[in-house]
Amino acid sequence: MSALDRALSLAPWLAATLMTAAIVHLASILLMPALAPRDAFARLETLAPRASLTPLAPARPGREIAPFGDPAMAVAICRYDLRDGPLRLRAELTGDDFVSFSFHARGAAIFYAMTDKAAFRGVIDVLVVTPQQLEALEAADPEDEIPAETRLVSPTLEGFVYMRSLAALPWQAEEAAARLRKVECAAEAL
Amino acid sequence: MRLGVLIKVLLTLALGAALGLGATWAAVWHGAAFGGVVAGPWRAWPRAGARDRDPYAAAVLARTGEIPLDLAEGLVFYAETDSDDRALTAACVYRLRGPTPPARFWTLTATGADGHLIENPAGRYGFTSSEVLRDESGAFEIVLSSRARPGVWLPAPAGETFRLVLRLYDTPVAASAGALGPADMPAVIRESCA
Repeated sequence: MSALDRALSLAPWLAATLMTAAIVHLASILLMPALAPRDAFARLETLAPRASLTPLAPARPGREIAPFGDPAMAVAICRYDLRDGPLRLRAELTGDDFVSFSFHARGAAIFYAMTDKAAFRGVIDVLVVTPQQLEALEAADPEDEIPAETRLVSPTLEGFVYMRSLAALPWQAEEAAARLRKVECAAEAL
Repeated sequence: MRLGVLIKVLLTLALGAALGLGATWAAVWHGAAFGGVVAGPWRAWPRAGARDRDPYAAAVLARTGEIPLDLAEGLVFYAETDSDDRALTAACVYRLRGPTPPARFWTLTATGADGHLIENPAGRYGFTSSEVLRDESGAFEIVLSSRARPGVWLPAPAGETFRLVLRLYDTPVAASAGALGPADMPAVIRESCA
């Protein structure tokens, strides 16, 4: 057997090795979000009860819940489980201070987000629902009235609302946190 | 002969699994080095939080637990190097100078290599757009150094390397970040090293 023949006889094994590598790589990447034990939802789950507004400490060295938190932001979360009923989020926002709300499905993808600029007459009024709850709500809606609230269908039963409020200047940190403490967040009966 | 084949099959599977997991590890643990939108030393992943993000971005976020910003909220740029592509280190003094893309507010933070804040005696971890002065062209200047400096001084995080994080809140560029070039972003200029 010449050296060339030996090399050629190994070629299919080499190809099989690379195929295995590709399959293992793709499978592990796709499974990461499902298997990661310390993703954002897992971390917040231990910090916050369901359907109630939970202020979090602003990012400071040694006590951060996640990397890359903005130290200038006051933060609060509201974790939900739509089996408890739709989640009502209501915030009265005055002034021109930056406040944002992002709605995270379990698995951490954001399915909706808005800033204080989305407030209608200074109010943000959101109802997070399942597709079934949305159907029930729409069936009960009066014919010719547009609902006052923004209805968001959550792709998962569980998730969380992440709220940020900017302290543009260091001494405004308390003011920024107070804006979030006024946000109402609760499960609602259908 | 049959034993030979069995050994080859097992070797193929073992080597393939090791290579595959190695590639995953490289992509997820050191993934910050590829993809996204690049402007000078700055890099952003505009779709990181979105439902149509790519599986690599999802895997990276699942590992770090970082809570991403949605495009409707803003856009985050990260820098691991200066404008000449050298890793940022507390042993050097840097001058950040230039404009920022239009945004209602922005904040600039220095973090450790893993994205966590690192204690410094000044208790200063970043600046907001309301805190720094800008000239007529909208440009600002911040000095990054491990020792106190005159001017707008941001302490450089201790450790081998560090990162800069520029967050643009409520920004119209979120949807067209790909069009940004180095001239739209602050330059990170290395001045001197210890």
